[in-house]
Amino acid sequence: MNLKIADFTIKLFSEKPFQLEEGYLPFVDGDEACVPDVSVECVSGIPDNLLDGCKSLFEARSEDQWFYSVYEYHAGLAFRIFNQQTRNSVQQIAILNETLNDWKIYTVPGPENDLLPLKYPMGPILLYYLTVNHEAIIIHASGVFDGEKGRLFTGFSGFGKTTISNLWKESGAKLINDDRLIIRKRGNRFFMFNTPMYYPALPEEAPLDTIHLIRHAPENTTKKISGALAVSKVLAFCIQNNFDKRFIENHLDFVNELCSVTSVYETGFLPDAGIVQYVKDHE
Amino acid sequence: MEIQDLNKLKAQFVTRQVGNELVLVPLSNNVSNMKELFTMNETGRFIWENLTEKMTVDKLAEKMMQEFEVDEETAIKDINLFLEKVSQMKK
Repeated sequence: MNLKIADFTIKLFSEKPFQLEEGYLPFVDGDEACVPDVSVECVSGIPDNLLDGCKSLFEARSEDQWFYSVYEYHAGLAFRIFNQQTRNSVQQIAILNETLNDWKIYTVPGPENDLLPLKYPMGPILLYYLTVNHEAIIIHASGVFDGEKGRLFTGFSGFGKTTISNLWKESGAKLINDDRLIIRKRGNRFFMFNTPMYYPALPEEAPLDTIHLIRHAPENTTKKISGALAVSKVLAFCIQNNFDKRFIENHLDFVNELCSVTSVYETGFLPDAGIVQYVKDHE
Repeated sequence: MEIQDLNKLKAQFVTRQVGNELVLVPLSNNVSNMKELFTMNETGRFIWENLTEKMTVDKLAEKMMQEFEVDEETAIKDINLFLEKVSQMKK
């Protein structure tokens, strides 16, 4: 089975039957002949002691919960993924080759022996590690396309990404996604793509023309920023595992180029329809 | 922070020049400081790029006086301000 996400082809295969969460189903691609960017073998069960002695490189955890850990594994990497419902029990282990394009995902089978190889958070982790080897980023952002321009809105959680994208949607713009986007370069233009969510949504894409770093404000305001400030602020909202210099260099180069051809604004807004015209008038 | 200590600190960052400025991203083994990106203006970038193991404030001030046509007092003041700011970066 192949998935096509943001122009990436992900080949999934297994000796056992496996399933995908419903958000992935619209991304299943019928073109089996397509050369995959990454191959993923899904294996039932996690061997004991698989990561014994491996050096820890990175930990993604909050105060009370583990999300995943990254380890050095021969010339490649390994991930220990923790279950987000049962908290802190191991859900999967993934082994990656040196070039990060060959994955083997060991999964604890479900109650009916079912396998969910991309069960959250494995899916987004797989997508992130696709971007570190390509000219691409994943960013916490919403994106809309009004038929003329593609606009991306990013900011801290609670700063209005969903609110502002809904206001654009109500004005007739197409919503690409309101939470997470992949940005890639195609020819001389940058494009934004949605990724599978916990709900089913068709694959969407749009050219990317402007980026707004948003926040709620007592009045609508917007100010164009550029140079190192723009690069650092956009990069801050990208998903990053910064334990490897190569990953950082790749993302820095990409965001630098993105910000050199895409206008970046710091935009404060009131949560009403007026922000749509305000942005159009002030870009 | 002493100027010699800064050379060790440099290894913990990945940098890119953007125009005359510099963007700095820290290497990290966890998610807690992912939002800590830094930028430096042209003067800061010059100081950062000229930090070496055996660099001293006096030698660096001399280089700055040649590069930016500033007097010694201004150069040393800029270097000390830089050291003060950079000492906050890896806390």
